[in-house]
Amino acid sequence: MALSLEEVSIRLDGHTLIKPFTMRLEKGVIVTLMGPSGSGKSTLLSFIAGDLTAPFTATGDVTLDGRNLDGLPPEKRRIGRLFQDDLLFPHMSVAENLLFGMPRGEQQARHAAMTAALAEAGLAGFAERPPQTLSGGQRARVALLRSLLASPGAMLLDEPFNKLDADLRAGLRDFVFRHIAARDIPCLMVTHDRADVPPGGRLLLLGRGEVRDA
Amino acid sequence: MARTLRRLTPAQGALPILVLWVLPLAASMLMLLPAIAEPDAWRQLQSHPQLWSALVLSLATGGGASVLALLMSVLVLAGLDRSRALPQLQALAAAGLALPHLAFAIGFGFLIMPTGLIARLIEGGATPPPWVTVQDSWGLSLMLALALKELPFLLIAALAALARGDGTGHLTQERRVAASLGHGAGSVWLRVVLPQLLPSLRWPLVIVFVYGATVVDMALVLGPTQPPTLAVVIWHALNHADAAVNGMGLAMTLLLTSVLAALVATTLLLLQVTLPRLRHWLCAGPSLLAAPRGMAVVTGTMAGLLMLAAILLLALLSVTPRWPYPALMPPAVTFAAWTTLGSSAAPLWLSLLLAATTALAALGLALLWFETQPEGRDRWLIGLALATLALPQLAVAGGQYRLFLGLGLTGTLPGLFLAHLTPVAAYVLIILQGPYRAFDSRYMMVARSLSVPASTAWLRVKLSLLRAPVLTAAAIGFAVSMAQFVPAQLVAAGRYSTLPMEAVTLSAGGNRPLTAAFALCLAAPPLAAFLAASLLGRPRWR
Repeated sequence: MALSLEEVSIRLDGHTLIKPFTMRLEKGVIVTLMGPSGSGKSTLLSFIAGDLTAPFTATGDVTLDGRNLDGLPPEKRRIGRLFQDDLLFPHMSVAENLLFGMPRGEQQARHAAMTAALAEAGLAGFAERPPQTLSGGQRARVALLRSLLASPGAMLLDEPFNKLDADLRAGLRDFVFRHIAARDIPCLMVTHDRADVPPGGRLLLLGRGEVRDA
Repeated sequence: MARTLRRLTPAQGALPILVLWVLPLAASMLMLLPAIAEPDAWRQLQSHPQLWSALVLSLATGGGASVLALLMSVLVLAGLDRSRALPQLQALAAAGLALPHLAFAIGFGFLIMPTGLIARLIEGGATPPPWVTVQDSWGLSLMLALALKELPFLLIAALAALARGDGTGHLTQERRVAASLGHGAGSVWLRVVLPQLLPSLRWPLVIVFVYGATVVDMALVLGPTQPPTLAVVIWHALNHADAAVNGMGLAMTLLLTSVLAALVATTLLLLQVTLPRLRHWLCAGPSLLAAPRGMAVVTGTMAGLLMLAAILLLALLSVTPRWPYPALMPPAVTFAAWTTLGSSAAPLWLSLLLAATTALAALGLALLWFETQPEGRDRWLIGLALATLALPQLAVAGGQYRLFLGLGLTGTLPGLFLAHLTPVAAYVLIILQGPYRAFDSRYMMVARSLSVPASTAWLRVKLSLLRAPVLTAAAIGFAVSMAQFVPAQLVAAGRYSTLPMEAVTLSAGGNRPLTAAFALCLAAPPLAAFLAASLLGRPRWR
C-alpha cells in the first residue's frame, strides 16, 4: 500500500497556502511534516482525510494503493487519524470505543481482537472502564489502538503528542511508531517538535507555501 | 448599577426574587395541599362520568405529541447535522418558539377545518369535505398542533446542547474521528451525537409532555369536547360558581399531577433499564448509513410552512368578513374587525404592559441574583424554575388563585403582574444561568486593571459580551407573558381581560375576522420581540 499526493495545493480565500506539490508515502514509512502555525499543515491532513471545510479549498489527487480518493467521504477512505486530543467517545467504555470502528463480523472474534490489542498495549483489564478514568498516556494509546483496529490503509497524525507531559512523550512515540510499523501502512505526521521525528525518518518542511525535504 | 450591586450584601441581592417569585410560588404549591384532605371533593371527582376517559385523552394527546415532536426534531437534526442551513434553522425555530400556542392553534384550526384553506386547496368541490378535523374526538388535531408547536422548543434546546458540546467538548472532532473509523454521517449522528445529546433533552421533554397533557387554551380551541381532555374538565370546574365544584377541580388537578409524575418517573426508570441493553448496537462496527437529509428537509419545511400558513391565514381572515367555500381567495377585503379591535383595545394594552413589565422585572431579578449570589446557590433556584415549568400550569395557577384570593390580590393589577411573573422568571432564570455563569470574570478584572470604573466595566464589557443571551431571555420572557391564559383568567376574576382570554372567548363564537385579528395581535408582539432580540444581539463578528 502507498499513499500518493499529486499536484496537491491548498488555497484560502483566493490566496495559495500550499503550492502544488507531489509526493509518495511508501507503506511502513512515517513521513514528518513541519511548518509554522497557520502554514496549512493540519488543513492538508483534512484534505487527505476528506473533510476539508470552508473557507479552505484544495486541488490535486490523493490515491491510496492506486485507488483515487477524489470525492469520497471520509468514512469511505479508510484513512485513520489521530488528533492532539484523544477524542475517546465519553459515552462509551474503552472496549466500546475500540469496537466502534472495527469491521463488522463475528461478535466473539471482534471481542478477542479487542482484548488482545488491549493486553498487548499493557491495558489488560481496562476494557469496561469509562475513558475518563484513564490517564492521559493510557487514553492516547487507546485512541491509537482504536484507529488501527479499524484496519486503515494509511494514518494521519495531527500533532498527536502535543498535549502530553514531556516524560510521557518518548514512551508514546515509541508505542505509536512501533504499532504503525507493525501494520505496514504509510503514515503522515505533522508536528511542531523536531523530537517527534522518528529516527532516520524522512522530514519535510513547509515554508512560504512550499513543501521541501529538510 | 454595578456599584450599587457591589455594595449589596448577598442577602439584599436575593431578597427581591425571594419575595416576588419564590415565596408566591412556594405558597401557591402549599395552597394545593388542603385539597388533599377534602373528602367531598374526592367523592365528587370519583363520580364524575368523564374523569377516566378525559384522563386517558389527556395522556394520549400529551404523550403522542411529545413522541411526534421528538421524532421530528431528531430527524431534522440528524439530517441537517453540520449543514450550512443550521443558522437558518435556529432562526426559524426561534420564531416558532415565540409564536404563542393559542395563536397557532386558532390559525391551525382555520387551516384544517372542513371549510379551511387546506380543504379548498386539495378537495375543492361545491361543498366542504366531510372531514372531522378540529375538535375530533380522538384529539388528533390537538396532538398534531402540539407536536408542531413543540418542535421549535425541542430544536432550540437540542441546538443549544450541541453548541455546548462543540464549545467545551469535542463533538465536532469526535464526528471527524468517527468518520475516519468508517461511519457514515447518519451512523455518526445516531451513535456519537444522539447518545450525548439525549441527557440534555430529558428536562425539555418532560416539560413538553406535561405541557401537552395539561394545556387548556389549545385544547379549548382544537381539542375534543365529548369528553374533553381532563385539563378542560378541570378548567370548567375551577371557573364554576359553586365552591364545591372548584374543590373537585383542585382534587382533579392533584390527581392529574400525580399521574403525570408517576408516568414520568416510570418512563425514566424504564429507559434506565432498557437503554444499556442497546449498548452493543453502539459498537456493532462501522455503518455507512447516510444522514436523512431529504427527509429532514421535507419534515422541517412542512412544519415551517404549516406554521407560516397558520399566521398568514390569520392575517387574511382578519380582513375577510365573508369567504364562501370553494373560493381560494376572499371576494372582498374590509378592515371592520380591526376597527372593532381598535375600539376595544384594552386587552391588547394590558397584555403588552404585563409582558413588558414582567420581562424587565424578571431580567432585573435574575441579574441581581447572579451578581450577588455564589454560583453554588443557583442549583435550587434553577431546580425551582424547572419544577415550575414541569408542573401542570393548572396546579401552579390553581394554588396561586387560592393564595391570591386570601391576600385580596385577585382582580388586581399587582395580582396579575405576580401571576405572569411566575412562569416568565422561570424561563428567564433558566436561559440566563448558563451563559451568565460561563462568563469569564477575568475580562472584568482586565477592564478594572485598565482603571475603568466598575459600573462602566459592567455595562461596556460584561453586559456587552452577554448581550445576546440577555436579549434572548427578555424576548422569551415577553413571549411567555403574552401567552399566559390559565393564571391570567383565574387571577383576573372577570375584572381584567388580556389578549389570550379574549382570543379563547372569541374562538368559541362565530366571528372569524375578529377572532383572527385578536389571534394575530397575540402573535405579532412576541415575534417582533424575537426579531428585535436577534437583530440587536447579533455578534459583531462571526
